Amino acid sequence: MKKEVVAMLLAGGQGSRLYALTSQVAKPAVPFGGKYRIIDFPLSNCVNSGIDTVGVLTQYRPLELNGYIGSGAPWDLDVSDGGVHILPPYMREGEQGTWYKGTANAIYQNMGFLDMYDPEYVVILSGDHIYKMDYADMVAAHKKSGAACTIAVLEVTMEEAKRFGIMNAYEDGRVYEFEEKPKQPKSNLASMGIYVFTWSKLREYLIADEADPNSANDFGKNIIPNLLNAGELLMTYRFQGYWKDVGTIDSLWDANMDLLSPHSAIDPYDPSWPIYARTPIRPPHVTGPNAKITHSLVTGGSEVNGTVENSVLFHSVVVEEGADVQYSILMPGAVVKAGAKVYYSIVAENAVVEANATVGSTPTGDPDWGIAVVASGVTVGENAVVSPKAMVRENVKGGERA
Amino acid sequence: MNDLHGILFAYHSDLNLGELTRPRNTCSLPYGGRYRLIDFMLSNYVNAGIRDVGLVVHQSYQSLLDHVGSGKDWELSRKHGGLRILPPFSFADEKSRGEYGGIMEALAGVYSYLQDIRQDYVIMGCGDIAINLPVADVFQQHLDTGADVTVVCTRKMHGSPRSTTYVALGEDGRVSDMSINPPAADSPLESLEFYIVSKKLLLDMVAYASAHDLRTFAKDTLLPRLGTLKVVPYIHEGYVARFQSVSGYYEQSIDLLDPAVRADLFNPARPIRTKDQSNPSTYYGSEAKSVNSLVADGCLIEGTVENSVLFRGVTVEAGAKVSNCVLMQGTVVRAGASLSYVVADKDVQINQGRMLVGHATYPLAIAKGSIV
Repeated sequence: MKKEVVAMLLAGGQGSRLYALTSQVAKPAVPFGGKYRIIDFPLSNCVNSGIDTVGVLTQYRPLELNGYIGSGAPWDLDVSDGGVHILPPYMREGEQGTWYKGTANAIYQNMGFLDMYDPEYVVILSGDHIYKMDYADMVAAHKKSGAACTIAVLEVTMEEAKRFGIMNAYEDGRVYEFEEKPKQPKSNLASMGIYVFTWSKLREYLIADEADPNSANDFGKNIIPNLLNAGELLMTYRFQGYWKDVGTIDSLWDANMDLLSPHSAIDPYDPSWPIYARTPIRPPHVTGPNAKITHSLVTGGSEVNGTVENSVLFHSVVVEEGADVQYSILMPGAVVKAGAKVYYSIVAENAVVEANATVGSTPTGDPDWGIAVVASGVTVGENAVVSPKAMVRENVKGGERA
Repeated sequence: MNDLHGILFAYHSDLNLGELTRPRNTCSLPYGGRYRLIDFMLSNYVNAGIRDVGLVVHQSYQSLLDHVGSGKDWELSRKHGGLRILPPFSFADEKSRGEYGGIMEALAGVYSYLQDIRQDYVIMGCGDIAINLPVADVFQQHLDTGADVTVVCTRKMHGSPRSTTYVALGEDGRVSDMSINPPAADSPLESLEFYIVSKKLLLDMVAYASAHDLRTFAKDTLLPRLGTLKVVPYIHEGYVARFQSVSGYYEQSIDLLDPAVRADLFNPARPIRTKDQSNPSTYYGSEAKSVNSLVADGCLIEGTVENSVLFRGVTVEAGAKVSNCVLMQGTVVRAGASLSYVVADKDVQINQGRMLVGHATYPLAIAKGSIV
């Protein structure tokens, strides 16, 4: 039962900045890149890094996520010793138990799970980043330095640094200070929210943190500063490569668009680091006699007989003749009927854009311009118009404007 | 429907398919962009609620076993029952060297398995046709008519008479005669050689056939007993494809570009399942053009594709042109190459600037792994 490394994936967040896209599902379950959901990236990274024991901490709208992960078979995590475990908050003897109060509390509440595997090291991951990373390499660096905690960092511009948790470190990687969203950043090393802890150390600090009634029980706000203040060794681990936080509509749209330049950003075709997903079996996609598809991703079960440019189409999407889809993301089962125009938009699962409707627009220079979003299951009626940056959660009647 | 057991025969390699079956069994012939032929009947069985399936194999079944595995993708990996692979019990028997002479010989080879079947009825046939057959309806008809044997038939197929069984009906709608591999078609009704029969009758038939060295079902077992057995046809009105030549394979692949054929074969109420492989979406480049085609996941298309079927992971480089082709998994068409009426088996590579032209009635077949 003993495992050297166990990964804990924080997947309980609502992802409130994805608005309508997460009204029904947790952020890690949001579809991404034609074939995937966000959580496929950290899960596949675990498997590709040789980590076969993963706890997925869920709290907000877990139904779809639980069903998606299931036995873990798509990621080869359906093993009898280890594998993937869904870890929701639970009640304990004497009416005890609460929701997860913070990221650190979520791990604290699952100390029993971790003790079961008695790991040397725990990898803490979050379910809202798109990247490929060999965690084994990071664990090896952690072992070598003998640190209590190793934090993956990415170089960002000084301007971007104001939006991140910034690690101020010596040249050898030792962290001497941590600043959350500094106004005057001293360094450009941003924390990626990926930590390797020596479990015995983390366990100690989790217990101490829980005893502090004033703590927010959060890794960034409490655990990391507490380790630093106590003089523990914290090391940075520099990551180079593609990494994107997809916590906002704009960044989610951006990251999908990044996939349209394969072999440059995050290459899903690379056989040495496959990204696994649970996908329904659908027939191949069909291109009709009037199809015009360029610079796009198209997935099984889809039927395209209109124009699709610079867009990402998930499975079972329909784009009828004369429809025009530009710079957009059409999630599974989305339908764009004849003559409809969808520009710079995200159309969520099973939403329907009726004939000659218009959703979104090309950038206008207007400061209020942005990506339009049609929530899952919503119908945009014939000749209706959905303005740029609109967030449509309810049906739009034919001819109306939303 | 727990009272029906499924048997699929997969011991056949059709020599007429030449380049396409040399490395494999006809049941593992790729079809429809991402499937193997076995997927269709296996899915039809599962969609009818059949929980126990026996797959009778004899030779060159490696690629088939690799494909079906434990049966997990059809939900046939079960604690009790599920998928059973049935290779010949022994090769010692001189006369069965190579392949079985017919399904009665094949069943005799797995007799103890037949005895252990938990269900009262059995549906059996060869797993090398592409069809979305409502097996539950066939079984219901079998029970309703009180038939001894139900034969699945079609009016839609026009196979080569020399390898077809034709069915003639009497006034009562029962099968009155059958002609097996005649020189010319003599009835509009072709047998798909799928049968439902009770376990009890099947065991009797197999024991009798074995004792009298009778190898086939239609000719040796059914035909002589048409007078005494109640044999009723089930006429399937949907699409059927059976593969008897390279040009037939080509034609039936191109049939899939017809929306009505797809709607029937890929009816979402009875989905065709296949082995799950993690392929990313297909990427179309900025100069790509794809019209009137069926394209599986994981392809990289920078060139032009029209009236074609592309399997998973096909690459069509910039300036290359693919028209009226069937390109199986992993085919690479390099820049500037031009293909028309070509059927390329797995992992074929067409080098830069090559031009290959077949004809609709005589498509050019390229063997697995070739480099042109």
